[in-house]
Amino acid sequence: MITMIHTFLQIKKPAALATIVSTKGSTPRKKGSKMIITSTGALIGTIGGGCGEGEVIDKALEVIKTGQPVTHKVDLTSGLLYEDGGICGGIMTVFIEPLL
Amino acid sequence: MKKEALYHKLSEAILNRTAVSLVTFTEAGPDLTGKRILLLPETAYGEKGVSDDLTNATAAFCAPSFLQQHTTSLDFYWQNKRHTIFHEAFPPSPHLIIAGAGHVGEPVAQMGKMLGFSVTVVDDRPSFANKERFSCADEVCCQSFHSYFQNVPLQSFTYILLLTRGHQFDVLSLQQLLSRKDRPAYIGMIGSRRRIAGVFEQLRIDFPKESFTHIHTPVGLDIGAETPAEIAVSIFAEILAVRNKKSGEPLSSHIRELAKKGFRKGTKRCGNTK
Repeated sequence: MITMIHTFLQIKKPAALATIVSTKGSTPRKKGSKMIITSTGALIGTIGGGCGEGEVIDKALEVIKTGQPVTHKVDLTSGLLYEDGGICGGIMTVFIEPLL
Repeated sequence: MKKEALYHKLSEAILNRTAVSLVTFTEAGPDLTGKRILLLPETAYGEKGVSDDLTNATAAFCAPSFLQQHTTSLDFYWQNKRHTIFHEAFPPSPHLIIAGAGHVGEPVAQMGKMLGFSVTVVDDRPSFANKERFSCADEVCCQSFHSYFQNVPLQSFTYILLLTRGHQFDVLSLQQLLSRKDRPAYIGMIGSRRRIAGVFEQLRIDFPKESFTHIHTPVGLDIGAETPAEIAVSIFAEILAVRNKKSGEPLSSHIRELAKKGFRKGTKRCGNTK
């Protein structure tokens, strides 16, 4: 993943990096998990999939446009069962930044 | 230093199995948010826009987390302002040594790579210990087991599997390993009861009985593994349990009762997370 980030910084293709920086309760992946989101919405890596990830992708596309990093809290506690089967019940903080 | 150069240094450190961590300012005002500092055992490098003072102060503040190679978010006060930082450690990848380049060794090497181990295969037969058979391995050493185990670094992240073709090779390997001052995280040895008894009998001549109580043999968890790939699954289930300090029991055995009650309390985390 680090090599991948390094490559993105070198080729200067617009993309964003999302990193889980803190977790509370039951989350699918742990701190430090990373995902690169390109301007077309393509993904490299995962921060856990499901609804939480969808939210992060939307935020990441905004970050690519604005160039401003943001911290986003993903709350997975609202419903026990998501339609897509995500049933973790925690909160995770995701730091999303432009890769440039 | 530019962000790109910082990542270059980070990749280098990971490759050299040096302790390294990356600090990111995640909530620290418009100027600092997103900036990074790279921490190495003796030095710290700040990204362009981070002053040397701040770099050094952050390095000092993160020293305990760096020593433990602990990944965590921290609140750091600088010039009376609170900055939230994310300290991400990159502990050296675990080293898996497979002694014996036979049929079981192949899926074990592949699965080891899949699980993030840096994999070394050792065997004294050139027709077995070669890069063609083990293209996925990081290192293939064609040398005698006894000379390899005499010098290889044994650290808290070294995992050793004895999958050799005969019990005399296990004895030679263990004689070296048990006389070393340093201890690896794990030693697993494949074998039937008879073979194991034979190995221990010979070792008992030179070593006290206690010195081989920590050897995992027969290797692996009891899942009825027969084929080389199945054996690999059984072995890695055990290695991961040792590494993560877990029992290796089915997850369902802990939560079955809670599940019946509807997970109202006591379930802290998803089953498959640490």
